[in-house]
Amino acid sequence: MSIQSTLRYTCILVFSFLLFGAINAKAQVAAIDTMPKVPADSAVIDTPKAPKIELGSHQLTIGIDILRPVINAYSTDKYGYEFAADYYLKNELYLAAEGGWGTSTVTYADLKYNTSNYFFRAGFNKYLFPRQDAKDWGGLFMGLRLATAGIDRSAATYTVIDSLWGNNTGSLAGKSFNAYWMELTAGVRVELYKGLMAGWNIRGKFLLNGKSFNDLSPLYVAGYGRGDKTSAFDFNFYLSYAVRWKRHKWHNGLMAQLPYQTPVVGL
Amino acid sequence: MINQIIQYLFRTPASLYRSGLRLLGILLIGSVFMACTQERQPCLTPKIASLNLRFVHFAADSAIALNSFSDTGLPKAIFTAVTDSGNRSVIYTSPSAYFTISLSPVADSCKWLVLADSASLLTAASFDTMSFYYKRKLQFLSNACGYTDFYAIDSVHTTKNHVDSVIITNTSVTNDVNTKHLKIYMHPGF
Repeated sequence: MSIQSTLRYTCILVFSFLLFGAINAKAQVAAIDTMPKVPADSAVIDTPKAPKIELGSHQLTIGIDILRPVINAYSTDKYGYEFAADYYLKNELYLAAEGGWGTSTVTYADLKYNTSNYFFRAGFNKYLFPRQDAKDWGGLFMGLRLATAGIDRSAATYTVIDSLWGNNTGSLAGKSFNAYWMELTAGVRVELYKGLMAGWNIRGKFLLNGKSFNDLSPLYVAGYGRGDKTSAFDFNFYLSYAVRWKRHKWHNGLMAQLPYQTPVVGL
Repeated sequence: MINQIIQYLFRTPASLYRSGLRLLGILLIGSVFMACTQERQPCLTPKIASLNLRFVHFAADSAIALNSFSDTGLPKAIFTAVTDSGNRSVIYTSPSAYFTISLSPVADSCKWLVLADSASLLTAASFDTMSFYYKRKLQFLSNACGYTDFYAIDSVHTTKNHVDSVIITNTSVTNDVNTKHLKIYMHPGF
């Protein structure tokens, strides 16, 4: 097994671990919440739930994938850049959008062409644990995206190499087309310092219109990966800055004033 | 158990950050490695479309018994491609009834010379000339393999020194090595 295959399966393993662990944790927390509480004197306790308090209000985060420039520096045939933004709705749910662009160059002996593309993703992230206080904006999350890319491929030249009958060289006209894919993502984000946030995520990507690539699939699609694969795995490391506004100043005060919810004993 | 591990790893911002950094380190090492290995992926599929032949002969020398045939092992067959740069031969040293040849990607027809037994070269043996007529279709295999030509056979003409007749069993010639395309009937006493 090649090292690349090992890395791929390691990514799958990590992703599966996070997915399974998160679901399992969520399920157990839910099970504990629904468990009836029986006191020592066997009386039935009616515990009114405290109203859920929405911590904080609005947060818009804009970031850049700082891993891409590192990869670009080591790569000779492709580059890409990626930006991300998300907006906090409520209940640990965020709207998320990402975009970017990139190019690739194929200069094989029997195949030569260039591609360039932009891409855009939209979806949501769901943080798996409730926020602990109004300043807690970090956490472990999972998300779903729908993505599209507009790809321009230059004219391609090819050579069919045949040592018996002789080589056959030809060319293909340039072409523009779109790619669509779906992504599952999971990751971590923490606040480093007053609005400055850092986090990474891993992504499983599934191409929805792979048949449109049959004539000449692009070597690299920025935002997706290898164009000749119907699934891909990727990861990002975002450095972001969060803008917050309309935070309710009275919130922390309200938290302190809430009375302790004394259980009501009934028959 | 797993949820406890998850809770332990990710519950507090500090542990979240530390755990995240550890996993990030693994991913960074992987990313740098992957970025440094940009050479072309290996091509793992056949790049040349193969025309697969099956040699048979009638059980009885009668065209009526069309469904009664058996494989004919050519003792030491010679296949010679008639190319623009001259004839190029492949000599088989052991008997077989199954052979694979290729069609020319630079023309819409090509010729092969076939001799059943190279030992008969010393005698007054004669080759059979098989002419193939086809349409070419450019086919993208992958970025690793590039392009190749697939073919649709229109007809096959042959001399009848040792060959009785040719039946096209599949007109589509691709890089699938398992599909048989031609059934070539030999005279019983070639």
